[in-house]
Parts: sequence; structure tokens; C-alpha cells
Amino acid sequence: MSELTGILTLVPAALAIYFLFRPGRGWLERWRRWLRLSDRVLSEDALKHLYHCEYEQREATVQSLSGALGTPVEKVAGLVQRIEAGELATSEGASLRLTPKGREYALRIIRAHRLWERYLAEETGLKEPDWHKRAEHQEHRLSSSEADALAARMGNPPFDPHGDPIPTQQGQLPPRRGQPLTSLAVGERARIAHLEDEPEAVYAQLVAEGLHPLMVVQLTHLSAERICFWAEGEEHLLAPIVAANVSVVPLPREQPVEESLETLAILEPGEQATVVGLSPNCRGLERRRLMDLGLLPGTVVAAEMRSPVGDPTAFRIRGALIALRGEQAANIRISSRRQVA
Amino acid sequence: MQPPHPPSACEVCPAHHPANLKRLGVNMDRYDFVVALAGNPNTGKSTLFNSLTGLRQHTGNWPGKTVTRAEGGFAYQGSQYKLVDLPGTYSLLSTSTDEEIARDFILFGQPDVTVIVVDATRLERNLNLVCQVLEITGRAVVCLNLMDEAERHRLTVDERSLARELGVPVVPAAARQGRGVPLLIDMIHQVATGSFVCKPHRIQSEPPALKRAVSLLVEKLRSAFPGLPNARWVALRLLEGDVRIEEAVRTGELAGLARAPGGTGAAAPAEGAG
Amino acid sequence: MNPVNTRKEVLEAAANLRWEVGPNLHDSLMEALYTDAARISDRVLSRDDARPAFDLDRTIDRLVTSRWLGFPIMMLLMAVVLWVTITGANVPSSLLSSLFLETLHPALKQAAAAAGLAWWLDGLLIDGMFLAMAWVVSVMLPPMAIFFPLFTLLEDFGYLPRVAFNLDNWFKKAGAHGKQALTMAMGYGCNAAGVVATRVIDSPRERLIATLTNNFSLCNGRWPTQILIATIFIGSLAPPALAGLVSAGSVMAVVLLGVGCTFLVSWGLSRTLLKGEASAFSLELPPYRPPRILQTIYTSLIDRTLIVLWRAVVFSVPAGAAIWLVSNIHLGGASLAEHLIQGMNPFGLLIGLNGVILLAYIIAIPANEIVIPTVLMLTVVSAGLTGVGEGAGVMFEFDSASATLAVLEADGWTLLTGVNLMLFSLLHNPCSTTLYTIWKETGSVKWTAASALLPIAMGLVVCFCVAQAFRWLGG
Repeated sequence: MSELTGILTLVPAALAIYFLFRPGRGWLERWRRWLRLSDRVLSEDALKHLYHCEYEQREATVQSLSGALGTPVEKVAGLVQRIEAGELATSEGASLRLTPKGREYALRIIRAHRLWERYLAEETGLKEPDWHKRAEHQEHRLSSSEADALAARMGNPPFDPHGDPIPTQQGQLPPRRGQPLTSLAVGERARIAHLEDEPEAVYAQLVAEGLHPLMVVQLTHLSAERICFWAEGEEHLLAPIVAANVSVVPLPREQPVEESLETLAILEPGEQATVVGLSPNCRGLERRRLMDLGLLPGTVVAAEMRSPVGDPTAFRIRGALIALRGEQAANIRISSRRQVA
Repeated sequence: MQPPHPPSACEVCPAHHPANLKRLGVNMDRYDFVVALAGNPNTGKSTLFNSLTGLRQHTGNWPGKTVTRAEGGFAYQGSQYKLVDLPGTYSLLSTSTDEEIARDFILFGQPDVTVIVVDATRLERNLNLVCQVLEITGRAVVCLNLMDEAERHRLTVDERSLARELGVPVVPAAARQGRGVPLLIDMIHQVATGSFVCKPHRIQSEPPALKRAVSLLVEKLRSAFPGLPNARWVALRLLEGDVRIEEAVRTGELAGLARAPGGTGAAAPAEGAG
Repeated sequence: MNPVNTRKEVLEAAANLRWEVGPNLHDSLMEALYTDAARISDRVLSRDDARPAFDLDRTIDRLVTSRWLGFPIMMLLMAVVLWVTITGANVPSSLLSSLFLETLHPALKQAAAAAGLAWWLDGLLIDGMFLAMAWVVSVMLPPMAIFFPLFTLLEDFGYLPRVAFNLDNWFKKAGAHGKQALTMAMGYGCNAAGVVATRVIDSPRERLIATLTNNFSLCNGRWPTQILIATIFIGSLAPPALAGLVSAGSVMAVVLLGVGCTFLVSWGLSRTLLKGEASAFSLELPPYRPPRILQTIYTSLIDRTLIVLWRAVVFSVPAGAAIWLVSNIHLGGASLAEHLIQGMNPFGLLIGLNGVILLAYIIAIPANEIVIPTVLMLTVVSAGLTGVGEGAGVMFEFDSASATLAVLEADGWTLLTGVNLMLFSLLHNPCSTTLYTIWKETGSVKWTAASALLPIAMGLVVCFCVAQAFRWLGG
């Protein structure tokens, strides 16, 4: 038995040594690389902040930078010095401005970030809360040529999953679209163009509310304390400071109102309904698949039978019998639910 | 055995591109025309394939893909036809391997005829694919299969008005019973030899913003690739950021698909056939 | 104008227009297509609205997916398919094996002797390669030639998608696709065929899960091992009247353990290694169609049976050569096989197996069918038994279970060895035919390696734990 204990202690020890010192990928090596990287990460994040301010025509200062990076002002001052020494930004009084070189640098990072988010959203099974975090990590590691290769493989997507334009290879961006949700008048309808993904806590709140780009919203109440609006059949209530992170494009008034509380998931066998649309929540492969099956606005869908275990349910869609899982059906909004004649 | 090729009668010249076909894994030795078989899954496509080719067929995989591919041949009125079974797909717009294979074959392989097998009992859903194929190629025949089932479900399809709407021949069939197969072969022959000239249906219901973007892009495409038969479709693909099509534009590969000016969808001699 | 420039202009124009048309182009295009399709279909389609008194498809669907009858019907059909396969395969299997082993093998030996073939060439070609191939063909071909057409008939009729529909919820909980039930069922025939069958799963993540876990379905080549070992080691513990039931029950327990592993590993994979792979569920339930029996038999024989058989034969021939060579190459007075067995024995015993079993699983990797014959041959060689078997490097089997037991016990096998062999037969790397198929289907060395290492690691751990528990309980 003593041999066995010997083996049992030696093996983990050997494994631990291996993982610590493994050439190139060992934990020690990684730790050292991480320390070196963290400086660069901080200055790249600073450039991004300066760019966002410029794009949204806000003023960037050491204070705003310190807030955005979550770093004490003293430390940011040193950071700003380094950035200025690298000729990436200049300061005019209190406000900071990007140099052309700095702008190019920032756009490259933003391109990598948005491309990676798009990649995660469209081509992997990862869910929304993971995208931003992973892209924050990846943007500092993706080289320009890697970003270009990724973009080419995905068909040079023009928008990221939050509705933000992705800078082109040459660093071009279209002018900003949309206005803050708080600028709408009561009763006005608009389409969400963009959810600002920083600061993270606010973004998490928006995601938790189930808001997505392309969603149609209608304002019902606006005061200094709160803002109420309808989106996809649900009423949402936000603090104006949170709602200001939602950009919207107002819709012309003559478009019909698509109010619907119901999704395909509530349809019982023997009932039918008309599809109003797919939730923007459903994207990538899944969205294309559902549309190929003919689940589009106006399609009449009848529930025919349910699996003996309760899920999935088989629906008659444009003549074919298709089984959909409950969570898929919940992404398909319907109206005029009724018994099959 | 070579069929007679009167030099002046260009309507019997094949339209396919031997070089492209070779890259797609099709050997055209001893064949005059290539016919692609497209359609949704579960439409009886393979049954039809079997009844068209009998035992003259073999299966393998598409080059570099793990998608099964069946190939076979038949002869009609002295011409040798090569039949290639494409993967069954609901659409050609998404990004699955199957759809890519089917799309690439129809676009770059330029089959002389594309037969679209349609399930008569699920007409609406199948017409979605038909409309997409007709955007790419006008040289098509629609095979309205499973007519027996449609009758069982008391559905009647007015195939004449369907042919009028789509602008291509429509042949009702029940491949399991062999019904309609002789007529289908005859229509394939007529389209292949150009004695039937198709006027394919084109998408009409796109929203105005899209229509404007497409027509702007089509104009550019027309000047870059004169005679391109499916400029509208190429424009749509470019707007969706289709990498394969972008590459075909960049390298000029698309120019190889252009027909001689004045060609109205009837066969014209293949460029670079050698 | 320069054509390169005009082409570039096209691409630039497209890139600029893409900002304008916005992110939902695909949606509006699909809507446009379906609007056209619906308009045309409305114009040309007319239906007789008088509803038929009896809708056959609906009636069948109600029945096979009903809460009370759905599962019994499924079990019944599965049982019928398995029963027909097992009983139907017995006769041709024994015919083939007597043809190959009792008629052709001696005839070839005689012919070789008459031709004056060198003993080593004769051994390598006839005792090694030919025997391995003969074993694989006679064990594998008949069940596959029955199982696959039956399965294809059910598929052609339209029943199989309903099975996926009934079971999907359980698979969903494990992060898998309902159609994995079908690839698993196919795996009970042959894992290589099961892996090919994963093509029906059109969602990338779920297809990989089904591919990587197919090995947990006990295949055709492993059933005989399970039945034999269960009969001689477990069935013999029970009173004779119950022996058959007990051994069948223990085989079922291994099968269920395999199902459990499938779900467990699927669940684990979908949350770890495969978390990032894209996933989209869709399951069409096509209308029922009367199956075309002759054509189905023809195509399933060509597409499934023969291709899989051919691959197995290709892989088993070199294995036969290896088996013969390790037992006939001598180094310092003992054969290579004996050296290897000696070397692996301590580790084998630690995990409740032995050196013979480990060596047999290494050199018989091409086909599970030849594991038992190889084990018997190696046992005879390593234990130095005389008067049994056919000689070094010649695989054989006994006609009676008691003779097998006698030989194995002479080499020190215990109940633990038997139980662990059954477990290891379920939990080890897939055969090389299957591995090759996985590599062809996934095109990835990474996933092929994962599908080999995962089960073998599980097998070693499970055998080790069982051995420790056994020894602890047994004192």
C-alpha cells in the first residue's frame, strides 16, 4: 500500500510542476505575460474611451477616463503621460484629444472588439452576457491581420450584435445613428439602434430587461425619476440615467403598431396563430434556420402535437410539420391566437 | 459516341463550364449536358434521381466535404446527360455546408439545366427555394413531385399557371410510381437544347430601401461584368457580405459566367471551353 | 477602364451600401422571398376543404407520440428489431464461421503445405491475416445485413423522426439533440455506422456530441464478449434455473451504464469543451410514406453494410498480422507477447484486469470482434497451457462456455476480472474503423483524439475503482 500512496502523491506533484513550468504555456510564463500585457491593456482601453467621447461629441478628461477605467486619478495621470509620449493623444487644458495616430489605434481595437462580439454571437453557442467580457479580453490580443481574416470569414459584417457599426479595415465608420431613448416624446415609437455596453453594470441591467437592438419601443411615461416604455409586449421601467445608454431611431408614425404579448410557446395543440416576428434575441444559425422554415411575419402556425415528455411541440408551418423546443417557440411572437377551425 | 453537332446551331451547344465543373468534381468525358437536381429535403429527390438514372450511378463525397453526393447518367434522343444530385436544402442563403455546395454548383458549375424537385403538398415552402434558384439560373425545370400524395390530401395544383408564374416548365410527377418521368426528361432536353426558352421569375416583394441599393449595385456590376445573367442575385449576395461571391468579383471569376451579349437565356457557347 | 479597378469599385460600393441597408437585410430578403412564394402558391393551389373523415398521418402521429402508447410502441419496435437481428443472424453467422474456420482455413493450410510455403509465411498470411478477416466478416456481416435494412425501413416509413420527437426533452437536458437517439440506436449495430449517421443532426455542436459519445453504445462486436463473460462469470453464480436471466440482466446493466455514460458525457461536453460550438435545433416530421422494401434493402446494403464491412476488413487484416507476429517473434526464449504481457501485468492487476486483456485490446484495436479469440490465444500462450488452442498466434474460440472458463481460471481470472472486462469492453477507445470514420467526418485530429482518450480514461478509472472496492469488500 505504501507504493500506492507514493504514486498517489508523486503524480499530482509532477502534474503541478508540469503546469507551472510548461514552456510557453506554463502558469508562471502566463503570469509574467499578463503583467506586461496589463499596461498595454490599460492604455488601449484609455484610447477607446477617448474615441467613444469623440464619436459621441462628449469631452474626455482625466476624470472621465478614471471613471471609465475604474482606476484612481493619480494612476490615470501617469497613463495619460505615457499616451502623450507615444503621440497618441494631446491635452488641451483639461480635455484630452486623440491624434490621428491615436484614433487609428483606437479604431483598430474597437474593430477587434466588435468583430469578436459578432463572432461570438453568430458562430458560437455562447450567450449574450459572455460576449462583452470575452471581447474585452480578446480585443488586446487579436492582431490586425487576424481581425481581417476573421472579418473576411464572416463576410465583413457591418454591424456588431449590439447594433454598433464595425470599423472597416481602413478605419471608416458611418456617422452616428440614433438618439438617446430619453429624448423621445411620450407615445413616440422608435427602434433600438444600440445598447452602450459600458459601464458594465448598466449594460447588465439593460440585458436583464431583455432589450436588444432592432426591438421596437414605445414611450409611455417620462419623468425625472423614471422612464416607462413598451418593448415586445412587455412594459419596462428604467431610471433615465440607465435609459440614456439606449440609442434609438424614431419610427414614422404611419407604421402599424405590432403589439403582442404572446409567443408561440403558449400555443396548445389544436390552436393556431399568426407570426408577428422573430425576437432579435434569436440570432445567428438559429435565426436563419427558423426563417428558412418559413417562420416570418404573417405566417399562420398551428400547434399539432406535443411530445409525451412535454417538449418539443410539433407545429404545422407552411404545410410542413416542424418540431420546435419551448425556448425556441418563446422567441417567436404571435398574434390572433385562436382554435383551428 | 458523339451526337451530331451542326456548327451553326448554337442552341445545342452546352452552357456549362468544363473547367469549373472539373473543380467541382464532375468529369464530363462522354457527356453532352450536365443536369443538377436541387430541392428541399424529403421531396423524393433521391427517388427521382434513381428513376432517372437507373443503375448508371455512383455515390461518393463532394470534394473536401463529408456530404454524400450521387452522380449518374441517362441518354435521350442521342444526347448523353450527366445528372448530379445536390444536397437537399431549404434555402441557398444561409451558411451551412449543404447550402454552400448546392449554391456553388448552380452558380459556378453552370449546369445546362437545373431540375428543382418540389413537394406538391408543401408548395409554398418549396417555392421559396425555387425562387432562389431562379434568381441564379434561368435554365431550370420544376418537377412537381409527390402528386399522388397531393391528391390523397385533396390538393390540386394548377401547373399551367404555376409554369406561367415561374417562367419555366413545370412537370407534375409521382416519382415513386414513375409517373411524369418521361415528360420530365423531354422538358430537360428541351431546355438543355434551347428549344424551350425560360423567362424566370424574379423576386418582386423586397422593401424599397433594399430595391434601391440593389439597383445601384446592379448598375456597377453590369459595367464590370457585361452580360452577367444573374447580376441582381450577385448584388444581393454582396449586400449580405457573401465571402465566396466577393472573392469571385475580386478575382474576376464572375466574368467567366457572363454570356455572350444578346443571349436571352438560351445556350451560348461556353467561353474558355477547352 | 481597368477591369481590376471596376471590380474594386463594385466591392467598395457594396461595402458602403451595406451600412445603409442596415443589419436586418437577411430578414427582409427572406420575407420578400416568402411573400412571392405565398402569392404564387395562393394563385395555383386549391384545396378541397371538406376535411377527410380519416387522416391517416394524424392518426399514426397521435398514436406514436401519445402519452401512454408512445414509449411502449418505441420499446416494442426496438425489441422486435433487436430480436429479429439476433435470432436472424445466428444461422448465417454460424454458417459463415464454419465455412471460414472449419472448411476454408484447413483447406488453405493444406494448400500452403502442399505448395511448400515457409512456416512463417503460412502463419502470417493464413493464421494471422485470413483468420482475423474471417472472424470479423462472420461476426459482423450477418447482424449488420439484417439490422441496417430494418432500421432503414423504419427511417423510410417516417417513424424515426418521431422517436427523436418523443425523446428530445431528455437529450436537451444533456445538451444534445433528440436525433442522437437514432445515432445511438445505430451504434448498437456498429459505431462506425452510428458516427456516419450523425450527419442527420444538422446542428454543429449536437452533431459533435453525438459523434464523441457514440462509442458508449455497445456495438455488434462487443455484444458477444459481454454475453460470453456474463454467462461464465456472473450467470454461474446464480442457481442454474436463473443463470440465463442473471447473465442477461448483467449485460443489460452494462448497456444501461453505456446509456448513462452517453448522457453524462454529453452533458459534460456541452458545458465544457463544446460550449462555444454553434447550435440550432430543428426537427422536421416528414409525412409517412409506405416503405419500398426492395430498394431499401438494396441501398442500405450498399450504403451502410458493405462500406462499413469493407473498412473493417481493411483494418482487421493488419491486426491479424500483428497478433500473429507478437506471439511468434521470440526474444531471449520468450515471445514478444509474453514479454508484453509480463510488462503490463502489474498495471493490469492493479485495475482488476490483467496483461493479456490489455495486450489484446491494444493489438485488436481494429475490431472488437476479435478481442475474445485473441484473449484466449494469448492466455494459452502466456500461461503455457498445453493441449488447448490452435498454437501461437492462431485465434480460436471454444464451443462450450465451461471450457473457456477452465482456461481463464487456470490463468488466474476471478469474478473481478470478468466484471472489469465487461466494463472495459464498454469503456475503452473505439475500434480503429470507428476512429477513422470520426476523423473523416469531423476532419479534426483533436476530436478524434478526444473520442479515443475520453472513454479509455473513464474505463481505467472505473476499473480501478471497482477493483479497489472489490478488494476492500472481499477483505
